[in-house]
Order: sequence, then C-alpha cells, then structure tokens
Amino acid sequence: MSRVGALLRKELLEGVLSIRSAALYLTSVAVLSVFAVTLVSNREMSLLDNAQAVYLMSCIVLAMGLLVAVIRGGDSFAGERERQTLELLLVAPVRGREIALAKLGGTLLAWVVTFVLAIPYVWAVGSTGQNLGPALVYLFVSGALLTLIFGGVTLIVSTRTRSLMAALSVGLTLFLLFGSPVVLGPSLRQSSVGRIIDWVNPFAHGLNMLDSVVVDSQGISFQLAHLGVLAGYAIVIMLWVSLTTRRVRL
Amino acid sequence: MSRGCLLSLCAAGVALALVVPTCHAAMQSPILVEIHGPSEPLTMGDTPTFNGTVTNRGDWNLKGLIVYLSLVSLKPGEERPVDLEDWSAQKAVRIDELRPGQDNTQEWPMRLIQAGRYGVALTVVDPNESQPIISDLLTFDIASKPTLSSSRIVPVAFGEPAFLVLLVGLYWFRCRFRRS
Repeated sequence: MSRVGALLRKELLEGVLSIRSAALYLTSVAVLSVFAVTLVSNREMSLLDNAQAVYLMSCIVLAMGLLVAVIRGGDSFAGERERQTLELLLVAPVRGREIALAKLGGTLLAWVVTFVLAIPYVWAVGSTGQNLGPALVYLFVSGALLTLIFGGVTLIVSTRTRSLMAALSVGLTLFLLFGSPVVLGPSLRQSSVGRIIDWVNPFAHGLNMLDSVVVDSQGISFQLAHLGVLAGYAIVIMLWVSLTTRRVRL
Repeated sequence: MSRGCLLSLCAAGVALALVVPTCHAAMQSPILVEIHGPSEPLTMGDTPTFNGTVTNRGDWNLKGLIVYLSLVSLKPGEERPVDLEDWSAQKAVRIDELRPGQDNTQEWPMRLIQAGRYGVALTVVDPNESQPIISDLLTFDIASKPTLSSSRIVPVAFGEPAFLVLLVGLYWFRCRFRRS
C-alpha cells in the first residue's frame, strides 16, 4: 500500500472507529432522536405534511453533518499540532497536500457515516409521503459538497492556527454566520439583500435545493443552479486547500 | 332644504358616480370565470383537482388571457394568502385565444398540506382591460390527519441510539480484551 493510501486508511479508520468519532456520531443520533420524538409528541408538528417533515429532518441532518465536518476540519492540523503528533506526520515521506487529502477523505467519510445513520430517521418521518428517494439522493449530494466546502475552509484555518480551540472557534463562527440567514426565515430572504445572501451562501443553496426537491417536487433542471454553485465553491476551496497545504509549518 | 341635506346629497352623488362605472365595467365584461371543487370531504394529503372555466360571452375574440389561481387561508387568526408552490399547484395558465361563445377549461391539481378552512378563486387578466375578472370564492375545509406515525418513529428514535451504544460498547470490550 502506498504511503498516501496508508495515511488515508488511518484517517478513515479514525473517522469510524475512534472514540472521538463515536462520540460525535452518538451526539448526532441523539439530536435526531430528540427531534423525531418532538415531531410525534407535538400535536401541531405531528400534523405536518410528510414532505415538510422530511425536509425539516433533512435540514437537521445536513446541519449535523456540517458540524461534524467543521470539527474534523478544525482538528486536522491544529489538533495534530496540539497533540504534538504533527511532527511525526511532517517527517513522514508524504507531502502536506497528501496529508490534507487524507484528512478531507476522513471528513467525507464522517459525512457518509452521519448520512447512513440518518437514513432510518428520514424514512421514519417520510416513508408514507412523497419524494423520500429524491430527498435522500439530494441530501447525500448536497451534504458531500458542503462537507468539502466547510471541512476544507476549517482545514485551511487549521493549518494556520496553533490551537484546536482557535480553529474550532473560527469554523463554528463561519458555520453560524452562514447558517444564520437561513434560520432567520423566509421573510428576511425575500428582500434584495436576503436574495444576495442566499446566492452567495452555500448552506442556503443546500437547503433551498432540498426544499425545491422535497416540498415543491421540482426536477433536476431546477437544481442545476444550486448544484453548480455548490460544486463551484467545492472546487475553489479544494484548490485553496491544495495551495495552502503545499508547505505546512510545525 | 337644509345645507346638511344638500351636502349629503352631493356626497351620495359623487359616490354613485364613482361606483356606477365600476359596476358597469364589470357587468360589461365578456368574460365569465367559474371554479368548481371536489364534492367529497377533503383531508390532508389528498390531491384534489379544481376545475376552472373561462367563457367568452362577448362578440369579439379575446387574446392572451392569463388565468391564475389564488388560495387564501380563512382559518380564524391565520387569514393570509397561501404560497401555491408549497401546495404543488400550477401558478398560471395562458389562453392564447378565446372566440365568441367559446369556453376554456383548466384543471388545477393541488396537494393539501395543511388542515383548516380555505378559499380558492380564479382570476382572469385580459391585457386589453384595466380590470381583472375574478370568480366567486370557493370555500372548502381540509380535515387534519396525523401524518407522522409514532409506531415508526419511536422504535427508530430509541432503537438506533441504543444499537449504536451497544456497538461502541462491544468494540471497546473487544479492544480491551485484545490488549489484555
């Protein structure tokens, strides 16, 4: 196995089998469970249309996936630096770019695990309704692209910071910043400023795409713009990651 | 006649002058628009089809008519227009030409996503007229139906975390056993 392959394998194993990862997945599952129980125990919410319930659940899955991506991205270099294990990585005959690739691979795998764990929840709230299949497909695709975007940005921050806390703070602030216009609701997004924010915000693109697919039953032609913007962001961030990690300092 | 009475008469005259042309225009419109809904009771999740008919009662051709549906919530305290996109309803239909005596029928399917009392109306806009023609408001009730089943959600909500904890526990024990 090549050195990069070995590094990727280590990251993938850590992404699934480490105690830290298990804690992250358990937290994600606990959040989804609480939300699912809230849906059935609240009278108003239990009357929600299945498509609406699937959309809400998908939004939470997406948010949990991004949170995991931000934590893993922040941990990638700053965490190794703080645990004093970065030196070992840097003296290994692999380039910084390859280390970053392996770290991003681990982050992407974390999204796959989060998604797989979320499938039963999405099924439970939406199996009798419409668009469950497309909802899962678009959730997976948008989540993967957003994981690369947010995970990539926090990885870049992580290469520059000395402490994990600093990298996480920046990552979580970015996450809240991009998430806040979406949380503030549709009325704010109707204004011209809101529309501009919606257009530049990758998280909003992910959620709008899910809304369009699940609630409005719109086809792929309506999603091409969202997918294009998300893919564009992902490519730019990957190039940026590649440039930033050419030389990683201890 | 007192001055007050004269003023009242003038005001009434002005009001009549304002109202009469409007009524006259509405009465003169060659367009008749009607909407009919399903007769059976409606429940959340149903996808009924409302039928709209636009008839040209005039003696001349009508061109480029735009017909659109409006849905309003009439539930007390929640009176507001409803976003048709969420109800998967078609937003507008264009009628290229409607000859004298001809009618045009459209189907307006809709997915009922929320319980309550609603009103639906069709509006026809003739680009050559200043006033749109609106059908009578058709009101209907949507009965609520719990769509989320606890028999499906509760086992997943409690079962999956328990299963995951069990898996993590088993893995941890296996690692400890191997180490020892």
